[in-house]
Amino acid sequence: MKDKILKNRYTLLGTALSVYVLVLVLEGALTGRQHEWWLIDNSLLEMDLRQAIDMGNIDVDF
Amino acid sequence: MNNFMLSQFITLLRREVSEHKNLFIWAPVVLGLLIFVVDFLIINALTEVDKARAVEWLARYFDGGNPVDMSAVFVFHTLPFMLILHFCAILYLNTTLYQDRRDSSILFWQSMPVSNLATVISKVVAITAIAPLFYVAVIFVLYAVGILWLIFSGMALGIDVSGLGYMFISAVWSLPVVYLFALTSAIWLLPMVGWLLLFSAFANRTPLIWAIGVLVLLLFLEGFIFDTQFLSNWIQTRSDPDNFIIVEYGGLMDRLFSYDMFIGIVVGSILIAGAVYMRRFID
Repeated sequence: MKDKILKNRYTLLGTALSVYVLVLVLEGALTGRQHEWWLIDNSLLEMDLRQAIDMGNIDVDF
Repeated sequence: MNNFMLSQFITLLRREVSEHKNLFIWAPVVLGLLIFVVDFLIINALTEVDKARAVEWLARYFDGGNPVDMSAVFVFHTLPFMLILHFCAILYLNTTLYQDRRDSSILFWQSMPVSNLATVISKVVAITAIAPLFYVAVIFVLYAVGILWLIFSGMALGIDVSGLGYMFISAVWSLPVVYLFALTSAIWLLPMVGWLLLFSAFANRTPLIWAIGVLVLLLFLEGFIFDTQFLSNWIQTRSDPDNFIIVEYGGLMDRLFSYDMFIGIVVGSILIAGAVYMRRFID
């Protein structure tokens, strides 16, 4: 098996990428990873952009 | 690790710094000089009254303040240095193993009693842990020169500058946070480090094009064949700056000891291992 993986640079690259994708797909499937782009949470500020968008829909009568 | 291996590793780190002085040392120095010149021009454009007001306001703002709380102000101002560090890291990681093969110096290094593992790990440590030290040193010099100028200006204008002492302590207190910010972001981005190193070791030409091209191809194939988005979700999560922007000590432990950090280290290690094995192909 090791000889096949290390036969040349292409087989090694293919193996490394296969393991990489397999780990990520398994991890994504198990954890249900979703990128929550609307949540800003770091040391500088915390914000939920969905609330900011909702506030934009408020009509104000002057 | 015995003394011989440690001294060997330190020699490898010294080699990386000496061969990439432009990225490790001159990049932050040039940026620091640019920032200094721009600040100098802005301050020279002010009137004496405005200068006095600015120095007085700063002295009052920092006077008696807790340096730990105030240090976040100084960390925020180092973001340009962090951007340049990340840019230089991408350049370094993408070319370092490729350059060894291109100029055939790999033949020399493989004749030395130095393993491929030690060589690749030294490159990872050099850019993640050693390079930020030079950036922090430049930032310290910039802050020290700036605050000294404020102190001398304030004294010449007859302003009470005792508060600027607190400002200096806050600036110094921010430096470990800046270093830990750089180190934590490097550990968070270990998958990207491994990806760039893998293609640096693999490609015979244009390693950056290979790195980007293969990624785009994998994203397309995953969506086209399996109709899933696990890979793109992973990349989006990993690329989100929220996960590694740190401006205070409080945010550090949460970032370092988290599941996401752990899985990133695992994935990065897989790719770095691929780069280590790839180094044996020197055709």
